[in-house]
Amino acid sequence: MSDSATANRPASNAPSAGLLEGIVQAEGYKYGFITDVETEDAPPGLNEDTVRFISAKKGEPAWLLEWRLKAFRRWQTMAPPDWAKLDIAPIDYQAASYYSAPKAASGPKSLDEVDPELLKTYEKLGIPLGERAALAGVAVDAVFDSVSVATTFKDKLADLGIIFCSFGEAVREHPELVRRYLGSVVPQGDNFFAALNSAVFSDGSFVYVPAGVRCPMELSTYFRINAAKTGQFERTLLVADRGAYVSYLEGCTAPQRDENQLHAAVVELVALEDAEIKYATVQNWYPGDENGKGGIYNFVTKRGACRGARSKISWAQVETGSAITWKYPSCLLEGEGSTGAFYSVAITNNRQQADTGTKMIHIGRDTSSTVISKGISAGRGQNTYRGQVKVLSNADGARNYTQCDSLLIGKRCGAHTVPYIDVRHPGAKVEHEATTSKISEDQMFYCQQRGLTAEDALSLIVNGFCKEVLNELPMEFAVEAQKLLAVSLEGSVG
Amino acid sequence: MLMTDDSAPFRDAFDQVLATVAEPAWLTTRRRAEMDRFALLGFPTRRQEAWRFTDLEPLIAAPPLPAPPLPAAGGGDGPAPASLAPWLLPAPTHRLVLVDGRFAPALSAGGALPTGVWLAPVAETLRRRPDMLEGAFGDGEEAFAALNAALFTDGVVLALEPGVVLETPVEIIHHTMSAAHARLHIALGAGAQATVVETAMGTGGGWGNTVGVISLGAGAVLTHLHIQAEDPAACHTAAVRAALADQARYEACALITGGRLSRRDMAVTLAGDGAQFRLHGAYLLDGEQEATLSVRADHLGLGCRTEEVVKGVLAGASHGVFLGTVAVAPGADGTDARQLNRNLLLSPQARVDTKPELEILADDVKCSHGATVGSLDEASLFYLQARGIDPETARRMLVEAFAVDAIDAAGLPDALAALARRHLRRWLDGGAS
Repeated sequence: MSDSATANRPASNAPSAGLLEGIVQAEGYKYGFITDVETEDAPPGLNEDTVRFISAKKGEPAWLLEWRLKAFRRWQTMAPPDWAKLDIAPIDYQAASYYSAPKAASGPKSLDEVDPELLKTYEKLGIPLGERAALAGVAVDAVFDSVSVATTFKDKLADLGIIFCSFGEAVREHPELVRRYLGSVVPQGDNFFAALNSAVFSDGSFVYVPAGVRCPMELSTYFRINAAKTGQFERTLLVADRGAYVSYLEGCTAPQRDENQLHAAVVELVALEDAEIKYATVQNWYPGDENGKGGIYNFVTKRGACRGARSKISWAQVETGSAITWKYPSCLLEGEGSTGAFYSVAITNNRQQADTGTKMIHIGRDTSSTVISKGISAGRGQNTYRGQVKVLSNADGARNYTQCDSLLIGKRCGAHTVPYIDVRHPGAKVEHEATTSKISEDQMFYCQQRGLTAEDALSLIVNGFCKEVLNELPMEFAVEAQKLLAVSLEGSVG
Repeated sequence: MLMTDDSAPFRDAFDQVLATVAEPAWLTTRRRAEMDRFALLGFPTRRQEAWRFTDLEPLIAAPPLPAPPLPAAGGGDGPAPASLAPWLLPAPTHRLVLVDGRFAPALSAGGALPTGVWLAPVAETLRRRPDMLEGAFGDGEEAFAALNAALFTDGVVLALEPGVVLETPVEIIHHTMSAAHARLHIALGAGAQATVVETAMGTGGGWGNTVGVISLGAGAVLTHLHIQAEDPAACHTAAVRAALADQARYEACALITGGRLSRRDMAVTLAGDGAQFRLHGAYLLDGEQEATLSVRADHLGLGCRTEEVVKGVLAGASHGVFLGTVAVAPGADGTDARQLNRNLLLSPQARVDTKPELEILADDVKCSHGATVGSLDEASLFYLQARGIDPETARRMLVEAFAVDAIDAAGLPDALAALARRHLRRWLDGGAS
């Protein structure tokens, strides 16, 4: 079953050619394995019946089916965006299957009931579940393909009134909350991929933190894409009520796969008065092999609304995976004195392409935002920062600082910076800075002269380059992210 | 799509041009091809990335059409020579005045040219030395450039043989009352040097649509000051394409204050090794004005440098746009490129869009860009007022200091810098709130 994984592994002892040349001989994808679980899939194709099938499978109320159908009808009138600096092979949306759920008679009641194959998968990924979860202090709502399998720490969170569950469960248990906030930040027709997601989203996570509650632990969800030919359409909705605080982690790895898999997620964050949301992502989906074969298409819409005064939303992301990334986690700064932040590290190696960045829309008075983006290109990777800072005419005292730096490793990669700054208020202060440079031979020589191998030296320099962003990640993630940077750039120096 | 062919209003003018000019057959063929291209392209729309911030409605609604040629002997409705006076450089200069895109000898002032210098109107060049312009009306141009190539009636050609240094500045005045499609061709041989001042002005709601084609040989140096001071109701579109050989230097300065709608597109190709492009400039706008300065620098050679410093001052309900792209081709190692766009918003209705873009496909590069948007510094205003300066004067001083920086840093020859400063003051006296 995992033959493809070994078949695609390139010769690991490639001859080295020059210090910074001969770059990029990635080792086989370390997390590439496929779990053998029977799935109950929707037939391939996408039409209104598919949408009805998904909705029926999930036992959804009529209003949600209507909501999906409205999105689907909207999607049919839309065209995929073509403005990004991405070379995307045409996608046949009728060839994929839009629903797959691990087969189970009825939902598992405890870990014992969970398919052992699944548990093994999580083990390989090092996801703490059960006891391990308790030790790690992490509540995990692990999403395996489309249906939430096991949720821990629920009781503890429930004591505080925090709702942390799968999206499907939230629809059943808390329809009023879902109905109030679903699509309120990313409307159905927001963009092509968001519309597609709205029509066929499978599952995801739902978090509600009640007024005045500080969530005592980092919440995390692991997404995996597993069943072949199944696009994954996560839907995440996170609401922090007045004065609430929550930190949310999202990490992804996916089994190695030759066929491109589409992932079009939507994440909506809502922060009310004085609330704070921290959302961190480590994205390490299969990037395709060194020739650009295979890999995940990651077309994600993430947006947070700072609805209340003095609310805060911070996005931190480490993007090392996926063949193509199209992703712009954004903040709508509506509340007076609200704050948005975006910290990003994006690495493209081999034939990976990333077009990522953020939008900071300053709507309310005295809103402020910070954008720190670090792009690293190696191999034949193409890395684009695309960001927008918009100050509307009522945003008196708005303040933005943007810094985006690019690092180039090798002669065949590309780094691009496309910032849009649109200011309609004289009381605003907006600053943008960007630099592009390469790792100098001097830096490498200095490190190696002190006994580091070329790869360790590179890893050290790259980690230093990314430090401002890594510092923003929760501790557990920061450690993982540093390792990931090193792994992602393996083979970049000969 | 033929139903919405934007070329329709220009067909009569096009036929008229073909009927009145006597020119080589290859050029007529070229004009037809360019007219067809414009028909195909139509006016750009905001759906196109490069045009998303530019509102062409004022132009497209009723595009001004070229007026018939003025009666010979310089009479008719041409501008009075005195009206040009405030815009002129002190003598000596080689001055060529174009009225509605046609050379007006009565307003121009020549002076003896050194050997190895060709300076003449385009129409005259096409009569006497058509070979110099063969192939100069190139392919792959944008809609406005295509329309220009189809409709142009005249322009200026400046060609220097290798090693020739033209000390006296060349002064080109575009005076537009209806519509002018003028061309500017500059070709400097290896090691040649020249200074060109181009001033766009006029009366009434006209439309100046110029195309400049610049080619600099190895080690050549061109200093190019552009002052755009069109009538506040006018439209102005200009495209400049420059190609730089080894060690060539293009020193550009652009001061944009005029026009209801204006757009300047510069595309500079640093093809040779060690070529340098410097652009300093400012757009100062008020009322309902909108101006776009779009600059693309393509780095192809080794060790090339680009330096751009563009300032924006936006008063009233004006809208300033800066689109800057530095593209570094694979192998263009040693590139050093800097872009800086700073903007001052002086009123709640003013608006700025800035997009300093980098496209980098080589690794041994140093590229940076910066953009800022802000208002006048309250502390500085307070400081000046605490010293007895009234608020109005204090504001003016700060705005002037902000903008004059762009002129000073350009390192223009004294006469040109003085002209640019004079123009800046005129704007400050006229409108800065």
